[in-house]
Amino acid sequence: MSIMQYNGGSVIAMVGKDCVAIASDLRLGNQSLGISSNFEKIFAMTERTYVGLPGLATDVTTLHEQLRYRLNMYTIKEERTMEPETFIHLVSSTLYEKRWGPYFIEPVLAGMQKTPSGAFRPFVASTDLIGCINFAKDFVVAGTASEKLFGVAEGLWEPDLEPEDLFETISQTLLNAVDRDAYSGWGAVVHVITKDKVVKRTLKGRMD
Amino acid sequence: MDISFALTGKGYVLVAADTTAARSIIKMKSDEDKIKVLSPHLLMAFSGEPGDTVNFAEYVERNLRLYHIRHTYPLRPASAASWIRRSLAESLRSRSPYSVNLLLGGYDTATHTPELYWVDYLGTMTSVPFGAHGYGSYFALSLLDRYHDPEAGLEEGLAALRRCIDEVSKRLVVSPGKYKVKVVDKDGVREIEL
Amino acid sequence: MPDGSYERPQQRQFNPYSENGGTILAIAGADFSVIAGDTRQSEGYSIQTRYAPKVFRLTERAVLAVNGFAADGNMFVKKVKQRLEWYRHAHAKDMPLRAIARLIQTMLYAQRFFPYYVYNILGGIEEDGTGAVYSFDPVGSYEREACRAAGAAQSLVQPFLDNQIYFKNQTPAPGTNHPTHLPLPDVLSIVIDSFTSATERHIEVGDGLEIYVVLAKGRSTQELASIGGLQELSTRAEGDRMFVIRRDLKKD
Repeated sequence: MSIMQYNGGSVIAMVGKDCVAIASDLRLGNQSLGISSNFEKIFAMTERTYVGLPGLATDVTTLHEQLRYRLNMYTIKEERTMEPETFIHLVSSTLYEKRWGPYFIEPVLAGMQKTPSGAFRPFVASTDLIGCINFAKDFVVAGTASEKLFGVAEGLWEPDLEPEDLFETISQTLLNAVDRDAYSGWGAVVHVITKDKVVKRTLKGRMD
Repeated sequence: MDISFALTGKGYVLVAADTTAARSIIKMKSDEDKIKVLSPHLLMAFSGEPGDTVNFAEYVERNLRLYHIRHTYPLRPASAASWIRRSLAESLRSRSPYSVNLLLGGYDTATHTPELYWVDYLGTMTSVPFGAHGYGSYFALSLLDRYHDPEAGLEEGLAALRRCIDEVSKRLVVSPGKYKVKVVDKDGVREIEL
Repeated sequence: MPDGSYERPQQRQFNPYSENGGTILAIAGADFSVIAGDTRQSEGYSIQTRYAPKVFRLTERAVLAVNGFAADGNMFVKKVKQRLEWYRHAHAKDMPLRAIARLIQTMLYAQRFFPYYVYNILGGIEEDGTGAVYSFDPVGSYEREACRAAGAAQSLVQPFLDNQIYFKNQTPAPGTNHPTHLPLPDVLSIVIDSFTSATERHIEVGDGLEIYVVLAKGRSTQELASIGGLQELSTRAEGDRMFVIRRDLKKD
């Protein structure tokens, strides 16, 4: 069994109309034994940038702490918040630094990117465990249920969904995908990000 | 193989660990204390590779004591857990990693909440209402899914713990004989005879 | 060694199996059944052909979809058809669907220790006129279901079907219930969506799509009238009727 599947867990992010959403399950396990149904893998990095870190749980915490530290240093030195597109490059270089002994994490990012005109544009991206970035226009997935997430998302997602519809789409995608994955599930959490607010909802799902 | 359980209740955390020290199939000792008192309101049950366990527990104990002396107040449970986790995570990718699994039970005197952290040798840490390590987890987790109540009083909590211990004694082939039980609450840490 | 002997014991191995990709899918309605499969056949990263049918008409009211190792699949279908022909000669009628399902089980289990490396999905109309889907594992374990996906993109399609066919994770509006069977046009759109999605994200799925539709006796064919690429396969208009819809899928 691969180290990437040791603790289980999955994350998905989707683009909507002037909004993005990112969602994950809440399971932490040791192979088939469930340990916790309250292990959050999505972290708020800035007010408008959220990152999901599925993979080996020890690295979820370590990488989160590492990214938070580097982001804080940037914020202090530059006296401005980091934009999502910049942040995914920070993630990428942080992971590539450990090219020959990687963190076993495949990050997923969702955020609202500030454009030169001052408006905000939805942005999602993901990387592999050594930091190769995938800039997707529609949705990104990662974790033990990634194949299932791809299948359902490809069937349910459509362009320009309003925040409430995007919430429904990402929730249904996640819930139905993790229900077919033994290593993901045990609760779910969804964040819907718009330019001026973030709504976080905890979903009621199957607990088996 | 060491067995340890912990569970939270109304204003307290119960931590239990068996007291056997074994080498291969031989019991060397049957009154080993595997629950360290790290600070006035913090307990740590440790299990894993013999040698690593005590060494790591003492390393943690001395460092947290040092913090207490330097700052005149101890680390709160969440911060202590975070520091301990980081030590394990750094150790994991070092030349000689510690193989130590932990249950950290504490009482946060600032927020008046009991806190329990499940930590493994990889540096995986999660806050749980109840937790277990070793073969005991296969019995305790399902029992506590059914019987654990975060609002239960101490007597009820002890009854739930008793169920876990009894089940292990009944069903586990290599079940240990004795357990040490400690509790942490607003009054600090004390040992309980089951 | 120079004397012709070997320094170590030598080992040789022949692997009699291969995987040929593709995906199949079947959905049962109240009085119809839809059985579909893509037509790409591949081995590793190479496409062997863009048109290799995986879905076969067995009788007037039974269709078998076979996925996995194509050589085994073709041979298995051939043998099932042969057994059905013998049945026709002996009993002067087609074997009923549930009997075909049991036949497939025994045929698969007969090869328990050298299995046909195939996942079967049998669809059609039961004797009572209801639409049915039976799914099998390679050694004959089987079950009647309302829907099933198998093959390379099973993990992509099945959770989508759970959501769209079984309405999993969806709460019906107060005072209402989810339908147990969907109407034919809805089923056809879900099948097509499933395959276009699978084609988009799975390299082994694509090229062509064959959708077999079996309608129970006396059922209206109205809903199929507007569908392009439709061909009728049934020989008699008064019994159960069978149609096939052929569509293109992306070839990349």
